[in-house]
Amino acid sequence: MLRLIAVVVSVVALLAPAVARAQDAEALRRELDALKRQQEQYQKAIESLSERLKRLESQPAPAPAPPAPAAPVAQAPGGPGGQMTPLSPMDVARPREPFSLYQQRGAGQLLFDIGVAGDFVGNLTQRNVEKANAGTFGARENRFFPREIELSLFGQIDPYARAEVRIESGEDEPGAGTGVTLAEAYLQLLTLPYGTQAKLGQMRNRFGWSNVVHEHDLPWVDRPDVYRAFLGEEGLTEKGVEATWVPDFLPFYLEVLGGVFNGDNETAFGLGRLRAPLATGRVVAFFELTDTMGLQVGTSVANGVTSDRLQSTLLGYDVKFKYRPEGWLHPLLTLGSEGIYSMREAPGDASEKHRFGWYGWAELQPWRRWAFGARYDGTQYPGMAGYQWAIEPYLTFLPSEFLRFRAAYKHTERTHRDGFDANGGSGRVVDELLFQATFILGAHPAHRF
Amino acid sequence: MKRLLVLILSVLAAASVLTSGAHAARKLKVVATIPDLKSLTEAVGGDLVEVESLTRGTQNFHEAEVRPSMMLKLRRADAVVENGLGLDAWADVAIDASNNASIVRGGRGRIDISRNVEVLEVPSTRVDRSMGDVHPQGNPHFSLDPGLAPVITQNIADGLARVTPENRAAFEQNRQAFLARLETEMVKWTKAMEPVKGAKVVVFHPVYVYFLTRFGLVQAATLEDRPGIPPSPQHLVTVIRQMKEEKIKAILVEPWNDVKLANRVAEEAGAKALVMASAVGAVKGADNYIAAIDYNVGMLSKALR
Repeated sequence: MLRLIAVVVSVVALLAPAVARAQDAEALRRELDALKRQQEQYQKAIESLSERLKRLESQPAPAPAPPAPAAPVAQAPGGPGGQMTPLSPMDVARPREPFSLYQQRGAGQLLFDIGVAGDFVGNLTQRNVEKANAGTFGARENRFFPREIELSLFGQIDPYARAEVRIESGEDEPGAGTGVTLAEAYLQLLTLPYGTQAKLGQMRNRFGWSNVVHEHDLPWVDRPDVYRAFLGEEGLTEKGVEATWVPDFLPFYLEVLGGVFNGDNETAFGLGRLRAPLATGRVVAFFELTDTMGLQVGTSVANGVTSDRLQSTLLGYDVKFKYRPEGWLHPLLTLGSEGIYSMREAPGDASEKHRFGWYGWAELQPWRRWAFGARYDGTQYPGMAGYQWAIEPYLTFLPSEFLRFRAAYKHTERTHRDGFDANGGSGRVVDELLFQATFILGAHPAHRF
Repeated sequence: MKRLLVLILSVLAAASVLTSGAHAARKLKVVATIPDLKSLTEAVGGDLVEVESLTRGTQNFHEAEVRPSMMLKLRRADAVVENGLGLDAWADVAIDASNNASIVRGGRGRIDISRNVEVLEVPSTRVDRSMGDVHPQGNPHFSLDPGLAPVITQNIADGLARVTPENRAAFEQNRQAFLARLETEMVKWTKAMEPVKGAKVVVFHPVYVYFLTRFGLVQAATLEDRPGIPPSPQHLVTVIRQMKEEKIKAILVEPWNDVKLANRVAEEAGAKALVMASAVGAVKGADNYIAAIDYNVGMLSKALR
């Protein structure tokens, strides 16, 4: 037995190193294979990086270096490394083209957009018009002033909603400080069922197409007379909620809208209570006549109560046509018209005062940087007798999408002097030269048709 | 009463079968922001999708007008395919106004094809608007680089499968078939471009950088002063001199660029201005993705020889 044990022990003792050696060799082989694989991977990575480097090197520098602010320069031969030559006076005078700068996103970046719009306007008119405060920018005749400096913040709140906040400042009275006001602040629910959306907060109401457009984005220096007469100088901005529905079964685009608001607008309503709210409605249709022509037709209604507790209803129409030739970056021809029919209970009797106003407008933009057009305004006054008409030809110069200058001449005639004769002046016939300079800094969302 | 109940249940069952049949037969409605993506989505989606584009190949995608007719297309869409990197940022306005919950940002039907694309010309310095139309996220004109088709179509297939998971295999099969066809064409294109490899070209706007890189060509200069900014006479003189010195034979132009100007510069420099298929449908004969690339390869390989 002992002999057997000794033999077994001897055999194990003899075999053990051999097994260990075999195991070592196996482990080494595995390690070698792993190293080989790793080397192959590294080789592939190096090849891929070399290829990428080669591709990048065969291209010009990724982005031009920021030019010195005082002396922008043109790119010289040989790419970015070439010699830079200063611009000639012609180059300095040459306007720049639009471009889009979108927010870069990433860690530490803002998750919403910020934009600033500045709108400066000026007015030159007769002395008697200035005395009567009867010019386009009431009480700010013969002045140049910031009408609207607006800070916009907008973006997605979460996957279901977005929000927009606009804070603005501007000169309301000559020489007075510029107060800051909340122009708009609303949230929009984007994922409601059955093609509906809701918007709630303080907003420019979708009454007609131009009421929602901010002053700096209007195609004219001033808001049309009919809006100023029936809804006040800044149009209709209300606090409340509105819902829209876009049906998907029609062969053309149709949007139906309904809203409930406080009714704070003092020119048309003014009670400002939800007990007797301002109710609004709008239906707008769009017809794509051809690839280059589009027509939008809308009708709006707003019904509320005035501060005297009298019923006030506004009915509106709007039409807009655009012709944008194939491949053009801007429309060649834009035509538009809007009108408001007002029905308001008269104080003291049961009768209703019916008043109407409208405007028609045409604009030609044969070159990217230049546009010219004219607007005809004709309107009655909601609270008094009389009628006024005006014609306003204008010229717009757009050095870029974000910078614009406009000049206009406006001739207004009124049937009555009453109401436009403050301080012994007269606003019966008004001739004005209007100027506008507008800039946009930062983000600005694209505009709808 | 029992009979009535049976009748109602039978009607409901029949309606359910019919509805499910109709649903199965219904094609997925997809809207692409640009025609290149329409073509690629059709290749991936095959018979299972019906694709519309918001723009035409003859339009400048940077500045498309947001028309309500776009919103109507989007209202009916099950999915929207967007380029991303700021090229079609205007689509956000149309999408938000389309009242379609499934395609708003974050919705399952929102497909961004720039995901995983190796972006070129990403600015490495601070950018501002004095530099022209600089895209802070990099050059967004990558859709007509055939080498990026696998990534783009993968994004499309994944997005479509999010909307109809049951069709994932079919989308992948279509994608593979398309990529195989593209591979065959790629061999032909590479051969055609081989003799002109390394040649320099001038472009009007930096739209072709991905395409040129893919085939080993070099973008030597742009006619625009800075991206999106039209050329000054001084800049043109500089470019003409460079073209003469470096014997550059071609200026690549998009259909909506100032072709007359490009022709004048080319004439001065002893070169040719080539109106390229900057997108599917931009020129006659470039009706789909492969045809557009084929057109560009044919045009360049002949002109640069």
